[in-house]
Amino acid sequence: MKRLANNFLQEIPFLCSMPAIAWQIFFMVAPVGIIFYFSLMRPGFIVTLDHYRGLLHTSYFLIIFRSLLLATLMAFTAFFLAYPVAYFIAMRAKKYKTVLLFFLTLPFWVNFLVQIYAWYFLLERNGLINKLLLTIGIIQEPLMLSSSLFAIFLVMVYCYLPFMIMPLYNMLEKIDPRLLEASSDLGATPWQTFYRVTFPLSLPGVKTGLLLVMIPAFGEFVIPSLLGGGKNMLVGTLISYFFLVARNNASGAAFTCLSALALLLTVILFYAVSRLWVVSKIVERK
Amino acid sequence: MTSRGIWGRYLLPLFVAKLYLFLYVPLIILIVFSFNDNRLGFDWVGFTTRWYVSAWKNQEMWRSLHTSLVVACSSVVLCLSMSTLFVFYGTRSFVRRAMALFYGNLAIPEIVLAVGLMSLFYFFSIPLSISTLIAAHTVLGLGYVVPIVHDRYVELDNRFVEASMDLGATQWQTFRRVVLPLLFPALLTSALLVFIISFDDFVLSFFCSGGSTVTLPMFIFAKIRSGSSPLVSALSTMLLLLSSIVVLLFLALQSRKWGQLR
Repeated sequence: MKRLANNFLQEIPFLCSMPAIAWQIFFMVAPVGIIFYFSLMRPGFIVTLDHYRGLLHTSYFLIIFRSLLLATLMAFTAFFLAYPVAYFIAMRAKKYKTVLLFFLTLPFWVNFLVQIYAWYFLLERNGLINKLLLTIGIIQEPLMLSSSLFAIFLVMVYCYLPFMIMPLYNMLEKIDPRLLEASSDLGATPWQTFYRVTFPLSLPGVKTGLLLVMIPAFGEFVIPSLLGGGKNMLVGTLISYFFLVARNNASGAAFTCLSALALLLTVILFYAVSRLWVVSKIVERK
Repeated sequence: MTSRGIWGRYLLPLFVAKLYLFLYVPLIILIVFSFNDNRLGFDWVGFTTRWYVSAWKNQEMWRSLHTSLVVACSSVVLCLSMSTLFVFYGTRSFVRRAMALFYGNLAIPEIVLAVGLMSLFYFFSIPLSISTLIAAHTVLGLGYVVPIVHDRYVELDNRFVEASMDLGATQWQTFRRVVLPLLFPALLTSALLVFIISFDDFVLSFFCSGGSTVTLPMFIFAKIRSGSSPLVSALSTMLLLLSSIVVLLFLALQSRKWGQLR
């Protein structure tokens, strides 16, 4: 008995490390598992594909496709906006670096909803942009800015920009300036140095940034439900519709699995394409 | 760095300036118009602070703020204690293998986690309340905190721990006197991060809190849904001010701490 108690005491440190794992399994792995389970089960513990069959409709695929397209387009737009800024701060800003970084990250700490509201305020039917255009006389009728895909796109770019800039900045900051000097000493033009040295070295940051932006954008719920005006259904809004309005958990679960699969396939595709690109670069050099 | 050409010298700084404008113009307009004495339109009528007064007096706002603070603080405490214990007490090889589990949080869209948690609570007939909300926010925070704390812990010189043990400290004493102070900067960063993530979060709160628990973002969301109101502008301005102060404070604190360590 005493030995058993001793053995138990010895295991206490190990048990102390367990709560995090248990929490993670119960509140992260189990919920994802249960979605999968709901999507496949019929009352009476029978496996069925009926819920998926019910989703075989063009409009559902259109919604997934539209969300994927929007997320991809948004991620690349954010990338093209973010790269010059990250480059500037990492390479050129010198003593203003801290100040620029502070003002860049500040909107990130501001409540997400405040950012969206600031745009809502501008884009609304009697919002500032419409007011301005009407006064100048460019338009006669107020535009429906706030309930369009463009509004969703714009506000997503705005909200996700810091998530793109930070990984790019972290990667560019680490580049050894001696490499750039060596490149220019060896006769490369600034553009060649950028294309051959700086950009390839920042590629891991590019990948992280694109993923960090694309994944949440794909399932974005708040922005489309405040700015979409209800007609531009996206994956996030449709999932919430299934679960909260239609109360159809099984179809909702099946749709969630389907969209997650679409996202996964897209990410794999991106990865494969980027791999191919790198390989072709290496072959080209030989 | 002799010849940068027109692109490097003029266009790049111009582009950066424009991007900063893009980031700040909406927020500045929001702040300016929160002082506008006009209930419905955007015509400038006159300067007023009455929206601030009415936001300040709004009982619902205070209740939701209180809920948000309780949830955020609980998540911070839970996240930090669990991840520190996990990193310190778990054996290295076990921790390294288990880490893969935590990277998943970033790879799953939040809405999937939200409906998953909701279905889980429904499946086990757990009523949605503030505790389910805390559980949800904690798991979101763990995905950020465990990697940060782990990275910092791996960077630590293992000889500190060994020396402490050799000199007769128990594992708990080593943890309290050696590891915890060394981890402090990482823990401070994580605490702020989790607090902000929880305080900011809307999706998980919307799905996992049930009808009676309303957090501040949910309060704002409901207000925006029912049309723009100057009350939200005033509230947003106050939140903006608050988060700038918190970030500045944090930066000041952090630079001082690091200064001391050097």
